[in-house]
Amino acid sequence: MKGQSLFNWIFTVLASLVLLFIIAPLAGMFLDSSFSEVRTTAADPEVQRSVWYTLLIAFSATIIFAVGAVPLAWIMARKEFPLKKVAQGIIDLPVVLPHTAAGIALLGFISREGALGSVAQKAGILLVNNGAGIALAMAFVSLPFLINAARDGFAAVPERTEKAALTLGASPSRIFFTISLPQAWRSVVSGFIMMFARGMSEFGAVVIIAYHPMIAPVLIYDRFNTYGITSARPASIIFILVALVFFVMFRTLATERHTIFRREDDAAD
Amino acid sequence: MLRTERLNKQLGMFSLREISLEVSPGDYYVLLGRSGAGKTQLLELICGLTAPDSGHIFLDGQEITYTKVQQRGIGLVFQDFALFPHYTVHENIAYPLKVRRLSREEIDLRVRNAAEEMNITPLLARKPNNLSGGEKQRVALARTLVTDPKILLLDEPMASVDASLKDSIRRMLRRLNRNGQTIIHVTHDFGEAISLANRVGVMHNGKIIQEGTPLDVFNHPVNRFVARYAGIKNFFRVTFVTSYKNCSGITEKTTKFRLPKADYPASGLLIIGSSEVLLSRQGAPGVQMNNIHGIIDDVVPSATGYEITDNAGDYFYVDITRREMEENNFITGEKVLVSFPPDALRILGEPEGKKEY
Repeated sequence: MKGQSLFNWIFTVLASLVLLFIIAPLAGMFLDSSFSEVRTTAADPEVQRSVWYTLLIAFSATIIFAVGAVPLAWIMARKEFPLKKVAQGIIDLPVVLPHTAAGIALLGFISREGALGSVAQKAGILLVNNGAGIALAMAFVSLPFLINAARDGFAAVPERTEKAALTLGASPSRIFFTISLPQAWRSVVSGFIMMFARGMSEFGAVVIIAYHPMIAPVLIYDRFNTYGITSARPASIIFILVALVFFVMFRTLATERHTIFRREDDAAD
Repeated sequence: MLRTERLNKQLGMFSLREISLEVSPGDYYVLLGRSGAGKTQLLELICGLTAPDSGHIFLDGQEITYTKVQQRGIGLVFQDFALFPHYTVHENIAYPLKVRRLSREEIDLRVRNAAEEMNITPLLARKPNNLSGGEKQRVALARTLVTDPKILLLDEPMASVDASLKDSIRRMLRRLNRNGQTIIHVTHDFGEAISLANRVGVMHNGKIIQEGTPLDVFNHPVNRFVARYAGIKNFFRVTFVTSYKNCSGITEKTTKFRLPKADYPASGLLIIGSSEVLLSRQGAPGVQMNNIHGIIDDVVPSATGYEITDNAGDYFYVDITRREMEENNFITGEKVLVSFPPDALRILGEPEGKKEY
């Protein structure tokens, strides 16, 4: 018993230190800024624009790329094919790349001389220094979060329910939308939130693609470089608060759904 | 009528081999075999979830070997029922009707009729996770039956329900079959086959090794595996001795069986059911009766009474009722006789030297 108690104590202390490490800098930032500073910064149109711009681009990038990422996740969960492990490695690649390197790679692809950039230019779209380019940069670094979460969700769907739907006459597309996706929905939404959150906070890749228009992380960096930490801090606080509100809101929506499922499971026991 | 012709399918290390069977309209066909025998894989071939490597499947004279699963008109109820957890019972049963684009009124009517038939009307608004095994079973059946399948495939339908519910499910399946529904039912339980089937196919290692009526299979098992499946425990490999006066079989341990007069091969396998053997202290009267001395080795309670193991050189397994036990009070180590008439012994059709299962 005594050994067990000591073990619990050591783990509690270690866990608390890690939590403290995360919370201390954030708390320090809040304590070092006055309310009037934050209020003045919040009223600054440039700050407001950059925050909404960040949210809008991150959300759009997540929605647009989900159209391809969710089917890719389903294929990774359900199909066996040659080089599947290589495909999984490619999906995970953006997570391990330095994000500035990802930005450089993407810049070569979407600049006027790049494969996608030249095609886009012919269609009259400029991807560099543009919202579309920022969305591509955000998506590039955050896609693995959606794909991997959705893949795990699809893998957890009992394959027999899909087979049963086949024997009941349903087409594969109907099965995907009525059987597989609803059952994997929680994981897909969770992946969606993670992709959105990761995209929103991206700096390294975005700053290579587009310094302007300024998204919030670039604006904070710009204020820090130009005016120093006292000016960058209130902007950071505002961005953190807004991001937190959206993150908690999405999480709550996903958890609500999870709770409904769990309540049913409990009732069955 | 469903007919399969020499179906073959390789599934990793396992393969279904040369599966040929015929199921007539109105048949209750039970595929019997241990888990891993290939029963479920065969059902998946028949309903079209997988395609065979070779062979043919015909339904009502039409080849359906490569017809899409959605177009075969064959219903499959999975062992774990595979209900859709995110839909209510009503939505589960309505699913195949929505796929067929029926009107809302028609769907509701057919769902309610099916629910009434299966006695699950009060469950229509509930989600599957809240249901018992027996209730899930009925919902899965209703969901498949609303499609009016030409053949209903049931994969181990009793495996996931409580023992107390098995009788009512058995009655329900018999009623369905009496109303004309052709059924192919997969199970590992010989009792289930006896109580439901009019035809049985025994599967082992991806092959159907014996087919016939349940009584045929029970009385004339083709080999030791089928005999064991049919609940037979007494096997004796014997050398047959025939003379002008009588016939007998002698085991390696010199147990001698008196046999009816007939032509016998040089050697073979004799079997006798545990309930066909009489256990007593004085033996059974009759000149032709086999009375073999032995010592009780073990007494084990069973569902119907006791199973007694008698060591007579060779081992005999004898089933006795509780009443017989109360009257005789057999105990371990006691000297007894096992008795049975010669015609209670049957010879297995297993060829000499064939690998035993």
